Amino acid sequence: MTRALGLLRRRLIGVVPVFCLVVVGAFLLLEAAPGDAVDAYLAGIGGGDAAQRAALRAEWGLDQGSLARLAAYVAALLRLDLGWSTAFARPVLSVVLERLPNTLLLMGMATLLALSLGSALGVVCGARPGSVRDRAVSLAAIAIYAMPGFWLGLVLIVAFSVELRWLPSGGIETVASGLTGWERALDIGRHLVLPVLALGLVYMALYLRLMRDGMAELWSQDFVRAARARGMHGARLVLRHVARNALLPVVTMLGLQSASMLGGSVVIESVFAIPGLGRLASEAVARRDTPLLLGVILLSAVVVMTVNLVIDLVYALLDPRVGSGTGG
Amino acid sequence: MSSPAVSRRSALAGAATLPFLPRPAQAQKRGGRLTVAADSEPANLNPAIIASNGVFFVASKLMEPLAEASYTGRDGLAPRLATGWEGAADGRSVTFTLRPGVTWHDGKPFTSADVAFSAMEVWKKLGNLGRAVFRDLEAVQTPDAHTAVFRFAVPTPAQMIRNALPVVTSVVPRHLFEGTDIMKNPANVALVGTGPFRFAERRPGEYTRLIRNPAYWDTGKPYLDEIVYRVLPDRAAAANALEAEEIQLAAFSAVPLADLDRIAKVRGLKVFANGYEGLTYQLCVEINHRRRELADVRVRRALSHAIDRDFVVRAIFRGYAATSQGPVPRHDRVFHAADIAMPGFDPARANALLDEAGFPRDASGTRFRLRLLPAPFFNETRQFGDYLRQALAAIGIDAQIVSNDTPAHLKAVYTDHAFDITVASPVYRGDPAISTTILYQSGLPAGVPFANQYGYANAAVDGLIRQAAGTIDDAERVRLYRAFQKQVVDDVALINVAEFSFISVARDTLVGVSNNPRWAVSNWADLGFAG
Amino acid sequence: MSFARRVMETGEGRFGVVMLALLVAVALAAPWLAPGDPLAIAGEPLLRPLQDMAHPLGTDRLGRDVLSALIHGARTSLLVAVSAAVAALGIGITVGTVAGFLGGWVDEALMRLAEAFQTVPAFLLTLALISVTGPRAETIVLGIAIGAWMQPARITRAEILSLRERDFVAAARVIGMRPLEIAFREVLPNALTPAVSLAAVVVAAAVLIEAALSFLGFGDPNRVTWGSMIAEGRTVLRRAPYLSIIPGVGLVLTVLSVHLTGRGVARALRAWRVLA
Repeated sequence: MTRALGLLRRRLIGVVPVFCLVVVGAFLLLEAAPGDAVDAYLAGIGGGDAAQRAALRAEWGLDQGSLARLAAYVAALLRLDLGWSTAFARPVLSVVLERLPNTLLLMGMATLLALSLGSALGVVCGARPGSVRDRAVSLAAIAIYAMPGFWLGLVLIVAFSVELRWLPSGGIETVASGLTGWERALDIGRHLVLPVLALGLVYMALYLRLMRDGMAELWSQDFVRAARARGMHGARLVLRHVARNALLPVVTMLGLQSASMLGGSVVIESVFAIPGLGRLASEAVARRDTPLLLGVILLSAVVVMTVNLVIDLVYALLDPRVGSGTGG
Repeated sequence: MSSPAVSRRSALAGAATLPFLPRPAQAQKRGGRLTVAADSEPANLNPAIIASNGVFFVASKLMEPLAEASYTGRDGLAPRLATGWEGAADGRSVTFTLRPGVTWHDGKPFTSADVAFSAMEVWKKLGNLGRAVFRDLEAVQTPDAHTAVFRFAVPTPAQMIRNALPVVTSVVPRHLFEGTDIMKNPANVALVGTGPFRFAERRPGEYTRLIRNPAYWDTGKPYLDEIVYRVLPDRAAAANALEAEEIQLAAFSAVPLADLDRIAKVRGLKVFANGYEGLTYQLCVEINHRRRELADVRVRRALSHAIDRDFVVRAIFRGYAATSQGPVPRHDRVFHAADIAMPGFDPARANALLDEAGFPRDASGTRFRLRLLPAPFFNETRQFGDYLRQALAAIGIDAQIVSNDTPAHLKAVYTDHAFDITVASPVYRGDPAISTTILYQSGLPAGVPFANQYGYANAAVDGLIRQAAGTIDDAERVRLYRAFQKQVVDDVALINVAEFSFISVARDTLVGVSNNPRWAVSNWADLGFAG
Repeated sequence: MSFARRVMETGEGRFGVVMLALLVAVALAAPWLAPGDPLAIAGEPLLRPLQDMAHPLGTDRLGRDVLSALIHGARTSLLVAVSAAVAALGIGITVGTVAGFLGGWVDEALMRLAEAFQTVPAFLLTLALISVTGPRAETIVLGIAIGAWMQPARITRAEILSLRERDFVAAARVIGMRPLEIAFREVLPNALTPAVSLAAVVVAAAVLIEAALSFLGFGDPNRVTWGSMIAEGRTVLRRAPYLSIIPGVGLVLTVLSVHLTGRGVARALRAWRVLA
């Protein structure tokens, strides 16, 4: 327990400079973008005269210099105020928190699918490396891994929602359905099947390969040979000794991939019209809504760090050899 | 109801015809929920402040203008909150007679005081288009609860005011806005109007829901119980949702044009190419006259000669557009000058003009290079950019495409003038004074978007614009604007290529689709499912 | 057994190498295989494959030849991906070497930086970067690289750390070489292998990221890439599915062959290191 707390403290201390870098970097990056929030707004409403432009710039504080606004932004951030979204005319915090659950749900389900299916199939392949079964499944996995997620999504929509009409083509739930409780959960579940497949299958293939390769290597290790010599064999050997150890790199990869998965959800959310953080980020860029983009990035960073923290703790539980000196 | 575009398409293809079975006149029944695709969710939904299609698409069901566009009505208008309008002979006032017995959604009565407040405090001061139309509005007098007299400081053409009515005169409830910070008023989203539907709820990123207004002044209407706008920012997603019967209507070409041939054959779906005449977009090439080569009118003519307008209409718009010959689209029969034409497709002539202008081809066959900035607003503007690059290559001009997102495009073109040619899509708003002259008049400050930032200046054109702005007589105004059109087409100030608007795809059980020139942004009181 | 033989040992490896060689050959020979501008309007719009043998794979919405776009697309897709991988590996190896060899606060700072980049979804940063600079091939390369340099950096650093106390490093110090000189001239060559064996993964990922960017409309409009072909074909997905399927298959084959080759090379490298 103390070790877990130590790990937590170490991580949190590391987080602060990382946050500062992210905030300043992203702020200056978007500042350098041609055109500002007023240009984006005027394009959306079909134009406006010089007086209107000036009034809007003043109202949104865009008439001040970049550094002054950066300072104001950071000062507000210290009070946990994420600022005002010009694109949505609402506080950034409420906009991003509204989208967070959808993204977490999508990512969580995709991770669950990738991890469970990936490691299960990995065990199947890794139990007898080089067998026909291993080669067939491995090759299928690498083919899936080679497939762009958005493309897979398009194909799934055409097949399962337009042609077969089994599943909805997009959105997070049936609009204004009035459903509650389990019925609503079921409805959301039906909407998530296709996007979760499109996002998760790629990672499934990745974890499958990791698991399989890890197990293939472990077979030649001394402790496995020893266990075999003691007469252990079959499923018990595969699961208790080989698979359990091969799971460790998969868990590590899970943490490393959480940021990439959030990035991947930008595309998947746009293909499936899911109102999540990913789509919000591309909207924020398109509308030059700097506080909103920073809000999304910061929240994503919090999510990624939380995931990694949890994984560190899980890792410590799985492998007692791991001391508090790892990570970084 | 048949759809003109579909018949035009099949005539084009030379095919027999699509099966147009004469349909018995259907009546709409009361009730039902209509789910439609919406591609954007404006933060501010108040049409009195923001007159844009995205806002009107939702807001027009809740808040009403003084008059709406009509295929058949007098002046091309159908009465809404005003039942009559009359301009004074001296051009200094317009008198509106208002509809009696109208109540706001919160039960308060609608009166001339609401109109006076809306005009003076909202349209004139805050309206993105209204501030130009009502620039010279001095006062609104309200002799009684149902009469409003608009007084202008200088003679103002009543024709222009009439043509602007559908777009810039959405009336807001004075009792909710007076004395507040209007821009920040919560009633800009949870709209309270007089329209056939009431605001119910909004789930950002998902949907906006409207419910029937049982106290609507047009007794018995509307037919629908609910309208749900489902947010589908992706165009392919809308087509899928439509085919999967998750939505019943996709307006504003939410279904990609290229997919329409196929969609038109899907059972239970109908394609409508009309109902958008009041929202015509003009596909144009904007030209930076500051660039040495482009300052020469022969070069600008050559650019126009390079463009095969028929191919553009056929390949990019799949037939759902018309070629364009000048700054006023041909559906506006009042102002359109039929006797003018942009230089037509003739690459040989284009090459000859460029040689004559002193820009010969070099060893690699190139005369000069241009930066081409296609506006990112529509798929079609981008695709026309790809086409234009190829069309110009054929006459020895190497156009490099510079691709920008929306804010960057606005900054580059309208503030920094960092372009040589662009692909643009200005909207024609029913009167040259409202939408068109701003593209040609000189002396505008840098930064005003969708306006003459091209370095084009012609004193004769500026003079015609000024003269027409103060002309009260309808016929004389028309004459001046036709002279103006001739002049700017002679100059090839910019190149008009095509006129396009939108397509709606609806389930065939919907009755009352596309029955006025601004249908998608009108109130839908008479829209319903077949009984 | 020679290195090449080892790579080709398995069926997977053979498939990968042959396929990749073919793709590279097509990419290199593009100007001769399909002369002229692949974006030129060459025929009637939306011809189906095999409908007109002048355009064996058909034409797109504007009448551009799909086969020549596919050939030139291979060139751009591979060029962008390889450049991005080189950039990512270059940045990563440099950062990793400096951090690992110098240690101390430099190491701490650089690894914090890597952590920052790994914490923020790189794809978001890439999107922001491209909206600042406009979608040009160079910025797309840079955008992909900023999302992919961290892993090579970590691996190189770990390798350097394990090498820096070896005898030959001490020897180099004795003869008076400067620390960075030692790092790059003596230690790095010995530490390169694991980072370079990441190249395949980085190239494959870069192909997919480039496709995703083009799909979202952030591709370079003056060049054909497979991603932009899919994005363009997507609007007519139902009517002319071949416009999205053909470049999609190209993408899958490319990523697959890069991957299989990479695995073959990694396996051969492992064997080689064991022997050496």
